[in-house]
Amino acid sequence: MEKVLEVRELSKQYTKVLAADKVSFDIEKGEIFALIGPNGAGKTTTIRMISTLLKPTSGDAIVAGHSVIKDAAKVRECITYLPDEAGAYKNMTGKSYLRFMAGLFSTDIDVINRYVERAERICGLGDRLKDKIGTYSRGMIRKLLLARAVMTEPKLAILDEPTSGLDVLNAIEIRKMIKKLAAEEGMSFLLSSHNMLEIEFVSDRVGIIAKGHLLVSGRADELKERYSAQNLEEVFERVVKDNEIL
Amino acid sequence: MVDTSGDDYSAVLRDADADSLVIIPEGFTEKLENGERPEMISVSGMKSAAAMSNITNSNSGAIGLISECISSAFAAKAGLTAEQVELLQMPVTVTEQTVVKDKSAPIGAASIMSSIMMKNMILPIIVFILIMFTSNMLMGAISNEKIDKTLETLLSAPVSRTAILGAKMLAAAIIALLNAVVYMFGFSSFMSGATESVSEEMTGQLVGQYISVDSALERLGLTLGASDYILIGAQLFLTIMICLSVSLMLGALVNDTKQSQTMMMPLMIMAMVPYLISMMADINSLPAVIRVIVYAIPFTHTFSAMNNIMFGNMPIFFGGLAYQFVVFVICMFFALRLFNSDKILTASLNFGQKSKFKKNTSDNE
Ligand SMILES: Nc1ncnc2c1ncn2[C@@H]1O[C@H](COP(=O)(O)OP(=O)(O)OP(=O)(O)O)[C@@H](O)[C@H]1O
Ligand SMILES: [Mg+2]
Repeated sequence: MEKVLEVRELSKQYTKVLAADKVSFDIEKGEIFALIGPNGAGKTTTIRMISTLLKPTSGDAIVAGHSVIKDAAKVRECITYLPDEAGAYKNMTGKSYLRFMAGLFSTDIDVINRYVERAERICGLGDRLKDKIGTYSRGMIRKLLLARAVMTEPKLAILDEPTSGLDVLNAIEIRKMIKKLAAEEGMSFLLSSHNMLEIEFVSDRVGIIAKGHLLVSGRADELKERYSAQNLEEVFERVVKDNEIL
Repeated sequence: MVDTSGDDYSAVLRDADADSLVIIPEGFTEKLENGERPEMISVSGMKSAAAMSNITNSNSGAIGLISECISSAFAAKAGLTAEQVELLQMPVTVTEQTVVKDKSAPIGAASIMSSIMMKNMILPIIVFILIMFTSNMLMGAISNEKIDKTLETLLSAPVSRTAILGAKMLAAAIIALLNAVVYMFGFSSFMSGATESVSEEMTGQLVGQYISVDSALERLGLTLGASDYILIGAQLFLTIMICLSVSLMLGALVNDTKQSQTMMMPLMIMAMVPYLISMMADINSLPAVIRVIVYAIPFTHTFSAMNNIMFGNMPIFFGGLAYQFVVFVICMFFALRLFNSDKILTASLNFGQKSKFKKNTSDNE
């Protein structure tokens, strides 16, 4: 299988904290990989390094053949990134925001139009897209940003807590959308989440990260078997507790 | 004749349809003849609070004239001849000469001063407004990306950080330029009105002895040619560029709206100090230590540019220009480095920590 992402011993040292310590994992084409871990585990830090926003202290990540260190510009052409806490330009309408962001990914007007139409369909905001983003609710902004993250058909969509701030129905809808895009279009996803139910439903493989270490990774059912657990939540609990003792 | 019953002198001015007038009350002559000191009332209409609008008070002229007439009348009564009286009133003749470097002109320095001061006021005001406005705008353009949390999304898009900076700077520079043009036209048409009226009065009072202020300025080499304006333009351009690069850095360090106001302070002081000093004192004649300190502020060179060019202090002007260029290159270098490093984002991670707390509580529910 073709690898979309190869993370090689990626580390990030902040002034005081070692937020990621030699994190390694792969994502294949059309695969959905989820990073799970307690607060402050280093999920966002890892994701930001892969998104070329932060420079790794050591290690590297290869996105579709391009190194995030040497070829950051090329990497950005292959990915989209949805930050965990993101906003949109309040003075723009939803539609003009989509158009603006599409314009950053392509100069071809037909392509831009196709991206915008796609996002309009996906976000499900209907006529509200004509309103200023300043008038949107938090969930509406989230849906707009999610639609924008997948509209450009990236090889790898990096979504940091994609469903945070969404109600149950909207969250389900988003999960279905992610699964559909992966299955039908071969889009790969790197997610992070606290919601084990969500992870179990949506992801093909998960990586459990705590204190900057990627402790285990594998398919959800494999992990459940290995730790003789009922669900992912128990796996998570055991893995994190086991490693605290060490 | 005006009716002055009551204290409402505005009605008096209105009735007389005058900007200002001197009232000689009834019984003025009787009091004079009795050897008392009679009262005159000077009424001046004030149309604006601007210092320049009230620079000449025509009433003082009128009062002087009346007093002069009265004293000569007294003198005549005392038996002095007209010539003696004139000598008494003006015992010496003063011919004023103003010298600039190797040129001189028969005119009072005060007239030159007031004429130049007005012209020199235009540029500093425009520059000051421009500096504040431009830096505020660009800082906002950068810091709002952080405050509204749109920066990360933008930086993950396939556009280089340098290009984003370039676009933001260009937009700010274009708006600054438009503003400069608008202010320049607005102020100069406003100021030229004021300047004209004053120089007319000046020359009017000094007919015969002196030459007009404008021709004196020309003779003293104090007028600005096209090349001078190009130099001033170049200086202004560099000033705006420094301003932009500094605001890039300050904007990048802002995390919330409150901070963005604090971050304006350094720029504000950097512009305010030289602005005020150049308005009030000649920087070149300050003590050496203070002069060096003041000239170390890059914007000082902008505020003193017109003066330096007018009075032929070209080494200082070009030195300032070179200094500003160096400052700009250094500031831009650091701004670019800041933007291409993690720092532009890591400062914003404070938000992440706050939200962690929120997430914890919602997980417990
Ligand atoms: N800018 C920064 N400077 C210093 N330390 C930081 C910075 N950003 C994050 N950290 C630290 O790095 C560690 C990992 O943080 P990170 O945001 O990656 O966690 P996370 O797994 O995304 O957590 P959460 O689930 O709460 O989002 C934490 O200990 C955090 O305090
Ligand atoms: Mg996070």
